[in-house]
Amino acid sequence: MMNMNWKSMSAFMAVIFGVMAIMPLFVGGSDHLMHILIMCLIWAIVASCWDLIMGFAGIFSFGQVAFFVIGAYASAIFSIQFGINPVAAMFLAGMVAAACGILVGLPCLRLKGAYIALVTFAVHMILEPFLKSGMGRAIGTGGSQGIMTIPPMELFGIVFSADNKIAVFYAALLLAVVCSIIIMLVIRSFWGTAFLAIKDSKDFAASLGVSAFRHKLVVFALTSFLTGLAGAFYGHYVGMLSTRMLGIDLFVMLMIMLVIGGIGKFPGAILGAIITVTANEMLAPLGPYRPLILGAMVVVLVLLLPDGIIGLVRRFIPGKNPADSRSPSG
Amino acid sequence: MIYEYLDIFISGLTIGSVYALMAVGLTLIYGVSRAFNFAYGSFYSLGGYIAWIFMVAIGLRGGYAMVFALAVPLLMVFGYLTEKAIIAPLRRRSDWEVKVMMITLGLALFMDNGFQVLFGPRMKSLPPIMEGVIVLGEVYITKQDMMIFVLSISGILAFRWILNNTRTGMAVRAVAQNPNGAKIVGIPKDKIFAATFGISTVMVGIGGILLAQKYFVSPMGGWDILVKSWVITAFGGMGSIRGSLYAAFLLGMLEAFVGYWFGMSWVLFALFAVLLATLAIRPQGLMGKWG
Repeated sequence: MMNMNWKSMSAFMAVIFGVMAIMPLFVGGSDHLMHILIMCLIWAIVASCWDLIMGFAGIFSFGQVAFFVIGAYASAIFSIQFGINPVAAMFLAGMVAAACGILVGLPCLRLKGAYIALVTFAVHMILEPFLKSGMGRAIGTGGSQGIMTIPPMELFGIVFSADNKIAVFYAALLLAVVCSIIIMLVIRSFWGTAFLAIKDSKDFAASLGVSAFRHKLVVFALTSFLTGLAGAFYGHYVGMLSTRMLGIDLFVMLMIMLVIGGIGKFPGAILGAIITVTANEMLAPLGPYRPLILGAMVVVLVLLLPDGIIGLVRRFIPGKNPADSRSPSG
Repeated sequence: MIYEYLDIFISGLTIGSVYALMAVGLTLIYGVSRAFNFAYGSFYSLGGYIAWIFMVAIGLRGGYAMVFALAVPLLMVFGYLTEKAIIAPLRRRSDWEVKVMMITLGLALFMDNGFQVLFGPRMKSLPPIMEGVIVLGEVYITKQDMMIFVLSISGILAFRWILNNTRTGMAVRAVAQNPNGAKIVGIPKDKIFAATFGISTVMVGIGGILLAQKYFVSPMGGWDILVKSWVITAFGGMGSIRGSLYAAFLLGMLEAFVGYWFGMSWVLFALFAVLLATLAIRPQGLMGKWG
């Protein structure tokens, strides 16, 4: 697998996040556009986590949206039912998501890809009935109504609520940058190398003392934590949650982000998230036809964009450093 | 009391037989080509809608016999072409397995929303395949249940016969055992993959036609079926047809009894618990060949 080196990865990320950082100067007046930008950043985190799991660690996890929703609900419940400060609740929620990740990972990470996909997808499928059930209501999920009044985060006297989108945007940007750096460090560290070795030859890697299971479990827990954190952030930002997030269309949208960004082409997923969220907003007037088009898009994109945008650029620009060569337009 | 349990037992037997048919179709496609079909549930709904179109919308003469006569070739062609169009092109790549999961998930979203646009979000009901009940002392068996059971079991037996006695069936088994070896002796591997996909589409589609009379057809109704078929397949053992059969009946019973004692909303949790326990204790399932 061809990975980007450290430098081009950082440059790519610096350009994307740099451009994002100055966007409020141009669109700061529009609440709707700021909301789209915030969602771009939140989904960039989730898509990057998924890419780390699927593209680099080779784990076919289909539970990313489930962990996002677990984090969102957990944080909302902590802050409403137990009166915990939202910032602390977010971290606790990340821990809950990580614990769920470990619980799910323990029985299935030793097995073949299809089993992992099955188990993680089953988690996604049973989460909705669980949140709506009497059990869910007992812990404060609000049943089919969902949770309506989630308190916003508050730090240094700034309230990060939907009324103050600029503040939320920069908080999201900070979170996205931190998460991206963590993911990059994992990819470029011993861990990334270990995963490459496991992918190339599992037995040889094992003979060198690389435990595939342990590595996979830790990465699974880490990405579940970050995804849960992103979900918690989302919950405190929009102020309400419902099980509608568990619909297949959102899941498929996340998949489109990864396909556009390229699986295993890490900073690509960030770009994929930004493109997908924006495109999805443009599809909004189509109403009931939107999920239909999303589904068709996956089929077409998987066939036509095998390596995502980065792969496409690399094919047409035979430079050594595709990230740099495309950055002026980034 | 005992008769009540007998009723539930019969209900479990009926559902179990249809689940068996669908799980065998799923284990077949995974066993032969290692393709993980996320649109399996949508193919189930497709079967239900085909039956609805013929039975209710058009009001075809000849009833269900005619529906089956038309639906089987239709589903076969649909499955064959789907494989050729979206799965075969992916096979050349090293990461095709995950790409297949993604593309079939996209297909599922497309089909489900297509159903919704074409037929509306409301559930469609179908007339029963056979009216009337059989009375055995205190136990009532509807002829519909009996017919569903008989048809799904004959479906599985027919499939077994095809697999063991026809050239295509033998080629399918050869490809499942050793794709490269099969290719060396001149078996057209790609055609077999597509044909297998077609056969599995037929099996789940028939499942859809049979269960639609009991549980209605709805655009998003297939997701339950996908998860249940996968749990049965994992529990019975990936690639083992006999394992899938036993697992389908066991889990059909589980569903009937859990539904009766605790309510239908608990069925999915129970199945999920079975799945996790199976994978933790015996990952290859009851009698799996591929661990």
